[in-house]
Amino acid sequence: MKALSPAGELVELMTINVGPSHPATHGALRAHCALDGETIIAAACEMGYLHRGFEKMIEQGTYQMVLPYTDRLNYCSAMMNNIAFCKAVERMFGVTVPERCVRVRVVLLELSRIIDHLVCVCANLVDLGALTNFWYFFNVREEVYKIWEKLCGARLTNTVTRIGGMYRDVYPAFADDVLAVLPLVESAVAEVRGLVEKNRIFIDRTKDIGVVTADQAIAWGWTGPCLRASGVDRDLRKDEPYYGYDEYTFDTVIGQTGDTYDRIMVRMIEMLESASICRQALAKLKPGPINTSDARLSLPSRSQVYHDMEALINSFKLIYEGVRPPAGECYDALEAANGELGFLIVSDGGTNPYRIKVRPPCFTQWAAFGPMMQGAMLSDVAAALGSINIIAGELDR
Amino acid sequence: MTYKPVPLPPGPAPGPAKPDQRGSENLLGDTVVTSTAEALINWGRRNSLWPFPFGTACCAIEFMGTVSSMHDLSRFGAELVRFSPRQADVIIIAGTITYKQAPILRQIYDQMCEPKWVISAGACATSGGFYDCYCTVPGIDEIIPVDIYIAGCPPRPEAFLEAIVQLQKKVDRETLRVSQALGTEPRRDRIAVGA
Amino acid sequence: MSAHAVPAADPSAAHREPIKAGLDAAALEKILVEQFSAKRDTRDRWNLTLIVARDRLRDAVRHLRDDAALRFNQLLDVAGIDYLAYPGHRGARYAVTYLFKSTVFRHRLALKVELDEDDAVVATLSDLFPIADWAERETWDQIGIVFSGHPNLKRLLNHHEFVGHPLRKDYPCQKRQKLSVNDPMIDQLEGVLLAQGWQVLDRGATGNGIPPGAPGTSLAGPGSESQPAPTGSNTGAPR
Repeated sequence: MKALSPAGELVELMTINVGPSHPATHGALRAHCALDGETIIAAACEMGYLHRGFEKMIEQGTYQMVLPYTDRLNYCSAMMNNIAFCKAVERMFGVTVPERCVRVRVVLLELSRIIDHLVCVCANLVDLGALTNFWYFFNVREEVYKIWEKLCGARLTNTVTRIGGMYRDVYPAFADDVLAVLPLVESAVAEVRGLVEKNRIFIDRTKDIGVVTADQAIAWGWTGPCLRASGVDRDLRKDEPYYGYDEYTFDTVIGQTGDTYDRIMVRMIEMLESASICRQALAKLKPGPINTSDARLSLPSRSQVYHDMEALINSFKLIYEGVRPPAGECYDALEAANGELGFLIVSDGGTNPYRIKVRPPCFTQWAAFGPMMQGAMLSDVAAALGSINIIAGELDR
Repeated sequence: MTYKPVPLPPGPAPGPAKPDQRGSENLLGDTVVTSTAEALINWGRRNSLWPFPFGTACCAIEFMGTVSSMHDLSRFGAELVRFSPRQADVIIIAGTITYKQAPILRQIYDQMCEPKWVISAGACATSGGFYDCYCTVPGIDEIIPVDIYIAGCPPRPEAFLEAIVQLQKKVDRETLRVSQALGTEPRRDRIAVGA
Repeated sequence: MSAHAVPAADPSAAHREPIKAGLDAAALEKILVEQFSAKRDTRDRWNLTLIVARDRLRDAVRHLRDDAALRFNQLLDVAGIDYLAYPGHRGARYAVTYLFKSTVFRHRLALKVELDEDDAVVATLSDLFPIADWAERETWDQIGIVFSGHPNLKRLLNHHEFVGHPLRKDYPCQKRQKLSVNDPMIDQLEGVLLAQGWQVLDRGATGNGIPPGAPGTSLAGPGSESQPAPTGSNTGAPR
């Protein structure tokens, strides 16, 4: 298109679509860019290509039926979404899950954070042409998948938690398996850091690319690793501790400039911190009940169902009708791999959710992407886009 | 009772070919393998399928798992992932297709050169999955013809590998006449794999 | 801090201080009730949710953001709610809930605006919080709330040929709407260019032959024609 620049020059701008089907748009995103040479003058971003009606679908079923849908929000770390949703509903009931359940959930949360960061970093590096790291990181991810399979049978979409506890207690060798995987995570991170951290090409393509200052990141509503990469030391695990995160010693990882390099490195080091939290939580894991004893949420045991009329009725009602949170509106959030994952639940006291609004963490990051890319080179789009980790499932819902 | 070995039939007599045995095989000996053009071309196509991963959702993460070293799609000659439809032989639809996405999918399919094949990976691409609502296409075969359907939500990497193997068998059965039917879409026999 | 810690002499060191204790719910409620005549939401049981009149919303939000003791500097989300099917609900059909959070103090707050069915219009916050731009577009798309003064109130999640608002309770879940042609998005791109002082003379091939400024292809400036009519609740709602 022909356009007059602010300085009054006549410039022939080239418009180009990055996406909706582009190797760097993991999922389906679209950035419509106007280029002067290779420099991006303006970028208009678009989303919704994976809008599959999450918020409409979950109004059709019961609260338990929401869980499989939450798996498919951020499908790189499905368990985090399960736990976040269950935590929000449990808050409405005023139920605290037993200590064993809390410890197991912390281990699952941190392992999920690790595998989410693995995918984010390795995909970002593939976009930059560093394919080897993909093999290194995906091998570790496959090892974590093996634990998931032993836990519930599924690799990716687990649906492993239930409102008021877990689908079932973890298998006996769970702790050993996790402890065996954590060194693999650490060595893979060390290997990949060795490959890229001081690599000239990597530094040239990521340093000072896609810079977001702390004030900009706050104004855009960023949370999570991207906010921390901009130098803002905010983490819900520290600021509003839940699930006993204040008992664990770990550092929040913060960056300096908020460029692509920092965002990648923050994720790398967060994996090591998460591994440390996993070890601490496993050390505190004691035998005990995994599900709450609250009859509004938990199914009675089979022997009770067979011998006790009340238990039979309760089991029947929980399965055929579902749980009934008290009427009202509740927002609850936790620190997911990408930032603050929140659920605003509107309950009318019935068995189906009246309205659930998801607060997806990467929505804010994608909204800021257009302004972030103005003045950058076209090739920087791939580098910066991977580093803000847009997951279309939770972005578009 | 003692065992008596069965005598082998006498082999071909050594020496030069008899003058009445003509044909290229006899003239050239073992130095050249002959075949039909169809078998030769299918052999090449079957063993170097270049996939275009049209990954939109969760299934794309499992496709990444399929390509990664544990499952290693390159054992079947299909590891060279191409993101340009003009360079790809097989498009793998991995993920939900919404109505907003549908025209894009059709356009990309049209940009692929014949012969081309389509793998519909997972419940969403195949039937819409459990997203039965206002914005999801209930199965991509409303938009493009499909060769292989994979079950699962998402399918396991083994199912992706099975789909590639089934597609290779299908490629072997094709005749040049069908795959050269440019301008019209060839009739497809549909195969389902997975759980 | 870990390997990426920065020396304390950095000017942005304030962002790395631990979060400070914030005001409790009673204090926050007192401020908003006294200064902005807010009232506690009757459905409020777990979070502090206050209802403000829609003409006081912008003042309240500006105060929340800028007051030194409050510093609600993050708008987390904008959620539209349709109370049409809510049992026993008498009152405005729609509500918009704004979730706020602070990176300075440990406190959270939700503001709620109630909107009648025939006048579902509320002033935009997109000039106060940049993220409100997209969050409001999503709320317009899904529920059909009109945000007056929004620079470019286009659909965000659904395609541009979609009619109606799917999260309204009277929209059937399985009512599918097909898309014929993708949005060329040239108007959005031009909006960004205009905002930076550029002037588009000729759209070229990307504009599908539409001259700049042609009717129905507005350049997405404030108050432009891409803004839906303020009688928002009737724009395309299925009955």
